[in-house]
Amino acid sequence: MDHSRASLSFHRRFRNAILGSLTFLFFGVAVAPLLLIVYVAWDRGKSVLDWNFISTLPTGFPVGSEGGILNGIAGSMILVVLASSLSVPVGIWAGMYLWQEGKNPAARAVRLLSDLLLGVPSVVWGIVGFYVFSTSTGYGLHWGFSALAGGLTLGFIMIPIVTRVTEQALRDVPISYIEGAFALGASRWQTLRGVALPGAMAGIGTGILLGILNVLGQTAPLVFTNYYNTGIPNSLVGSQGAVGDLAMQIFIYVHEPSKVMHVKAMAAALVLLAIVLVIDLGIRLLTWGSRKIASRVG
Amino acid sequence: MARMSVASFYAYYGENAALRDISLEIPDRQVLALIGPSGCGKTTFLRSLNRMNDFVKEFSIEGQVTLDGVDIYSSEMHPVMLRRRVGMVFQKPNPFHKSIFENVAYGLRIQGIRSRSILSDMVEKSLRAAALWDEVKERLDSSAFSLSGGQQQRLCIARALAVEPEVILLDEPASALDPISTSRIEELIQDLKTQYAIVIVTHNMQQAARVSDQTAFFLSGELVEMGETSRIFTNPSDVRTEDYITGRFG
Repeated sequence: MDHSRASLSFHRRFRNAILGSLTFLFFGVAVAPLLLIVYVAWDRGKSVLDWNFISTLPTGFPVGSEGGILNGIAGSMILVVLASSLSVPVGIWAGMYLWQEGKNPAARAVRLLSDLLLGVPSVVWGIVGFYVFSTSTGYGLHWGFSALAGGLTLGFIMIPIVTRVTEQALRDVPISYIEGAFALGASRWQTLRGVALPGAMAGIGTGILLGILNVLGQTAPLVFTNYYNTGIPNSLVGSQGAVGDLAMQIFIYVHEPSKVMHVKAMAAALVLLAIVLVIDLGIRLLTWGSRKIASRVG
Repeated sequence: MARMSVASFYAYYGENAALRDISLEIPDRQVLALIGPSGCGKTTFLRSLNRMNDFVKEFSIEGQVTLDGVDIYSSEMHPVMLRRRVGMVFQKPNPFHKSIFENVAYGLRIQGIRSRSILSDMVEKSLRAAALWDEVKERLDSSAFSLSGGQQQRLCIARALAVEPEVILLDEPASALDPISTSRIEELIQDLKTQYAIVIVTHNMQQAARVSDQTAFFLSGELVEMGETSRIFTNPSDVRTEDYITGRFG
């Protein structure tokens, strides 16, 4: 059948067309929610969105009916930094441990524990954080409703995410590189630090990103550990140490019987999305950079 | 005089014996070729010589492998020290995501050598020994991945030479390369054997005949025979060796 060499059969072309359209359709379904959020938030919130909105603190009565959301932006940043400074080192170390130990019983236990932690509802974390950090009576650290209490509670939520993604990213480094280092007389630790970790950096960056994005959207853990502040505190602990938080701010604003506050909630959602985008790009840039550095330093 | 010596060596993956009762000597300043059909155990044997099988689950051994008289599986030799003395080059080039310079310097850096001048000297010396220097001297800071496959493999050889090993293990080092790159690697092996003991696993009979002084024929986990390459290829003493090298099986 000579003509079949000249062009694909009708059957093949038909199948290609169907599969191609299906792929496009499912891609559309996948991004639709994002477009929907952006559209709704933009449509409802654009009227208050200006430089003033992101650079001033909320004022008026009820608080927030005038002014901007600087408290929420700054607070969210502070919480992310606090949560990351706990979870990133702990999570990466735990991930390296799991990679090293593979299938020994202790590593299996850590892995199981880590998976269980991933499944703990965030409100439970909030209550745990309350007892450990915030409550002023009984055991615990008595930090009050504060940024440190809230940030570390969010850090707890991030740890298992960073741990599992780090382990997986290390496992994805081709075995041939690992063996190449061992064959040169590198110890396990040297192989991990010099070859496996630089190769896994992009994956670990994604893990940190997922953790941060998760944390940025949390409100329940903060209800019992930080709650909310309409200003920016001087201290991160104690009764004056709470910070604002964008997610919490949106939650509070939409509960106010005030149209302007609803509009501001939508505008704040847009700002939150923009921050997510900036952090995403920032982490991509950082891991790209560290790969470059890794290629120069041993 | 033998650099390494293997006596009554058995290797197991779980319950399965991959190697049975292997005894042979690895001569210094010669090339030993390991030949045999796929699955005969030659790669397992090669990787047993620098304990690369330690990372394989449920791998275990019996018998003895010595380097200069010291049992490499005993507590007298740490695997890390062993691998500095018994270097290895793999089937597929596996340069690190680093510059050409840093790839070669890596083995020295992990030994704690920081001096830029020592590193530069050793990198140049190793790249020259691997016949790569003239091709890369102008771009030592470019990524190793900017090199062709054949150059990458010679870079991996340079990397192995930089730590000044005594024995070099080559696991089908040319099987992923084109004929020109292959012949360069083979010439290189001829140069290197003046200084090192070399063990090469190859599927290619002609290659074994071209590059090696001694040949060992493995079959189903056993060493059928070993001897001068010229004798193995012209007058083997075992009929199975003859069948294999004349292409009757494998």
